[in-house]
Amino acid sequence: MSTAESARLTGSFKAKQTLVKTSLLALASTFEIVSKKSPEMRAEIAEWESGLVFSVGVLPDGPAITMRKETDGLHYLGKGHQAPKLKLLFKNTDSALMALIGMIGAHTAFAQHRAIVHGSLFEAMQVNRSMAIVQKYLMPGLILKRITKRPPPMSGRDYLIKAQVMTGLGLAMTKNARK
Amino acid sequence: MVTMPDYYEFYCPVKIVSGKKALANLPYEMDQLGSKKAMVITDRGVVNAGLLKLVEESFQGWDGEIGALYDQTPPDSSDKVVNEIARTYREKECDCIVAVGGGSSIDTAKGVNIVVTEGTENLLAYQGAERLKNKTRPFIVIPTTAGTGSEATSAAVITNTDKGIKMSITSYQLIPDTAIIDPKMTQTMPPKITAATGMDALTHAVEAYYCLQKNPVSDAFSVGAIRLIVPYLVKAVQDGKAEQARMAMANGALLAGISFSNSLVGIVHTLAHATGGVAHVPHGVANSIFLPWGLEYNLEKSAADIAELAPFFGKAETGNARKDAEAVISAVREIREKLYELCGLPRTLKEAGVDEKKLEEIAGVAINDGTVAMNPEEVTKEDALNLLKKAYG
Repeated sequence: MSTAESARLTGSFKAKQTLVKTSLLALASTFEIVSKKSPEMRAEIAEWESGLVFSVGVLPDGPAITMRKETDGLHYLGKGHQAPKLKLLFKNTDSALMALIGMIGAHTAFAQHRAIVHGSLFEAMQVNRSMAIVQKYLMPGLILKRITKRPPPMSGRDYLIKAQVMTGLGLAMTKNARK
Repeated sequence: MVTMPDYYEFYCPVKIVSGKKALANLPYEMDQLGSKKAMVITDRGVVNAGLLKLVEESFQGWDGEIGALYDQTPPDSSDKVVNEIARTYREKECDCIVAVGGGSSIDTAKGVNIVVTEGTENLLAYQGAERLKNKTRPFIVIPTTAGTGSEATSAAVITNTDKGIKMSITSYQLIPDTAIIDPKMTQTMPPKITAATGMDALTHAVEAYYCLQKNPVSDAFSVGAIRLIVPYLVKAVQDGKAEQARMAMANGALLAGISFSNSLVGIVHTLAHATGGVAHVPHGVANSIFLPWGLEYNLEKSAADIAELAPFFGKAETGNARKDAEAVISAVREIREKLYELCGLPRTLKEAGVDEKKLEEIAGVAINDGTVAMNPEEVTKEDALNLLKKAYG
């Protein structure tokens, strides 16, 4: 491989990793906002084990985020895998990108072996459902129609929460980027 | 048009040794794996049916031996049992594991293989997918039921007794090296268990054919399984000594196991796992009850895939996917009716003795089952409850 080709590939990989890192930060920040504002999300996480720590990341040692369930919602603990009980892991950067930017749904990522679970499948299903709720507020309706098994119904309140996510996300990401 | 996935993976390294007197090859197969001293894991039912004797007899003339025997495997595998057997394995310096039995003995053996390979007693650390990095010990399986397909799968479900949870462990390292399928080993199965385990195998094959991980290779195994199970299940229930029927069912279960190990099952298993956990309905019975309802539930999304199975269920193709898929569902119901007449295999949750008040709890457990993600149609708690009410009867 020529030096130029090698540099191009490295540049392309770094660009993808940056996009994955940003998408994961957006996911973490949306988790925090939605877990405080959405009754659907609150009902979902009410069933979870108290203090559950989970992470979403990329193998072998790519970007990752860690979240913890607390009484008032989900909290972003910071980047990397911070002693999580449950890990949702993408096998590579390309697979992570496909799922995080809405090219494929979470169920497709697992069905196509692009993502794996380390930990309890029971808890993975709970987290997977919460990710679907987050996606509902983060992704446009057209994408949701394509990547979900059944497009989530949107009420007036849901549109309001979506607007709050869109307006508050930038600030939340800026704050969380320091963690 | 046949569905082609964007991407798929398939893995099956099992050597299959199948047919009359296949069991006589056990010491040879051990020798091929470089092993001389087997840790045999089985249960009382196998011993009482005289099947362990057949295994012992197979060692005559060989220098291989049974180094240790555990014949108390309970119906649900547990970490305590696994660790106890693993200690015996080490003490007796065994060099391979031989599981003789149904799903529980085989899953227990898979757990033992993790413990002796990884040198740990903490199976919790291996929950999830693909966490085993070391090559496991030589592992031979001799199934005595024709249903679970565990002799060819990468999964084990083992109860953590302290936490009271079922741990699901999936790894390609858990797939047995060799499956020995001998008709003698399933001939003593009573009719009702033959029916329930046979419907379990049929459910594996059918769900693997239309759920989200379906792929051309698993499809081929599913079709192969259905072609054996549909014509021979009723015969095996009617006459347990019918060698050809027993062989067909054992091979059908094996093929279905290979299929669903690579194309995970969906809503039928979701509900069956939860009904087993909450109401203690045997897995094969629950699958038999839910199979037609699960197929109907997925008609909107998967009619075309289900329709392709019509000829293998003895139904003429009409070219109309919906009609052909419905013909498959009615064929499944016909098989269930025959099995009910022959041995009383329950067709409804009511017949299986489930308390109607438990349906809500079952639905709540169901939506956290890993198989729910692989079902083509979305499944909420309300959806699961509606299906349970239909299946209640």
